[in-house]
Amino acid sequence: MSNDDHSNHHVNYLSVFFALCCFTALSVVFDVLKFEKPVTIVLVLAVAIAKAMCVMMFFMHLKFEGNWKYVLLAPTTILAIGLPLALMPDIGVPYYTSTAPQAHSWGDEARQFHEENHAGDHEHAEPSPSNPDDQG
Amino acid sequence: MSHTAQPSALKMGIPIPNSKLGMWLFLGTEIMFFTAFIGSYIVLRLGSPGWPDDPRDTHINVLLGGVNTFVLIVSSYFVVVAHEAMAMRNFAKARKFLQLTMLLAFLFLGIKSVEYYGKFAHGILPGKIAETPSQAIQKIDRELEAVVRKRFALYTDSDAVKVPEPNDIKNVVLQISALASGTIAEDADKAAVEEMKPFAAGDVELFKRYINLHDHMTADVSLTQEASGAAYTDARSQLKEGESFAPLSLNEVEEELKNLKNDETFGSYVAAGVMDPHPMLYGNLFASLYFLITGFHAIHVLVGMSLFAIVLKQGEKLNEKWTDWVENSGLYWHFVDLVWIFVFPLLYIIH
Repeated sequence: MSNDDHSNHHVNYLSVFFALCCFTALSVVFDVLKFEKPVTIVLVLAVAIAKAMCVMMFFMHLKFEGNWKYVLLAPTTILAIGLPLALMPDIGVPYYTSTAPQAHSWGDEARQFHEENHAGDHEHAEPSPSNPDDQG
Repeated sequence: MSHTAQPSALKMGIPIPNSKLGMWLFLGTEIMFFTAFIGSYIVLRLGSPGWPDDPRDTHINVLLGGVNTFVLIVSSYFVVVAHEAMAMRNFAKARKFLQLTMLLAFLFLGIKSVEYYGKFAHGILPGKIAETPSQAIQKIDRELEAVVRKRFALYTDSDAVKVPEPNDIKNVVLQISALASGTIAEDADKAAVEEMKPFAAGDVELFKRYINLHDHMTADVSLTQEASGAAYTDARSQLKEGESFAPLSLNEVEEELKNLKNDETFGSYVAAGVMDPHPMLYGNLFASLYFLITGFHAIHVLVGMSLFAIVLKQGEKLNEKWTDWVENSGLYWHFVDLVWIFVFPLLYIIH
């Protein structure tokens, strides 16, 4: 039956579980350590990918499944990545200055407010870095 | 004839049960489903020149998110142990671990509810978040109006005052003023009048403070300047060309709100009905994405729980026929865990 094809591969699920716990703790540690934001992003996403691999390979047994797994998962993965990639040029990294009210007029109003009120408390009320004039 | 055994046909196809193939095909569509949400989040986050990243504004709770991550990992482990037990025909053990999984699923949803409640209580709702100081002033104005209306409804509903159009609060306040000064309409309910009379003067004062703030907001004039009546018209007529009054600032409104909340007579109603504003640029986009992603994830948790509930309903009768079911629902559960593994860093840590 379904178990025949991988019954010979005994996995120590408990050690996978402990690995997952350690990875989770690690991502919280990365949050607490307050690195530069890009560093944090790379670190926590790397940990997330490692965790995802553990779950997929051992808990979901993909490591022991036949080659059908590639036939089945590759197309959906490609399509899944396609959507964000397709949106990226226009919305994610726009060439032209954004005309969204938040970036344009609201941004100025909010920035002015924060400058007046929270000069010494920049952490709490960091003004929007958006200055439409800077981006063009 | 075509049903005659064809030994070679047995080797065709994929060497897994149809149900498992079905589950994997479904999980393939699920990958696209969640990538659409998470991908949109990443794209919109990158495309927005600002983002609410302070937990004091967003009320994102890393600790609760971290605990929920741990809960899902433990439950994933329990599911895999349950499936192993099914394969080894140890059905009592399988049931025990599936029950524990159910318990953890409830715990996950419980923690999620606490998080949601914390957001609702602070007005973190898509479309309702003030992104700018002027929106924050508008929000205070609307919430204060709701408080006044709620107070006034006590008078009109109990017939302490009789007003033809109770929705018009300016009409109602005249009657309440009369009540406060001892003038009582003949057809008013006597018991209700006795009950409401001690509060009438306070509620009239609350109305005056509200309408004063409202007038200043409409005219966009600083609270240091009259914003209605003859005084306002006179002051305006004396303005030189090109001159204008100082605009209403959120700081002033916040100060006034603080005074209202500290008032002995009506402070408690104001405190209960009006939130302290925290203008948050891109807060609404953030809230939409947060609730969309975590909400759909929570729905998946509920579906997974239903799959396990069907197995657990078998009770003592659980047998090897359910092994594939447990394996497939286990795959689904691991996928739910997998989604959370990405949601946690993206929404809770990077946010």
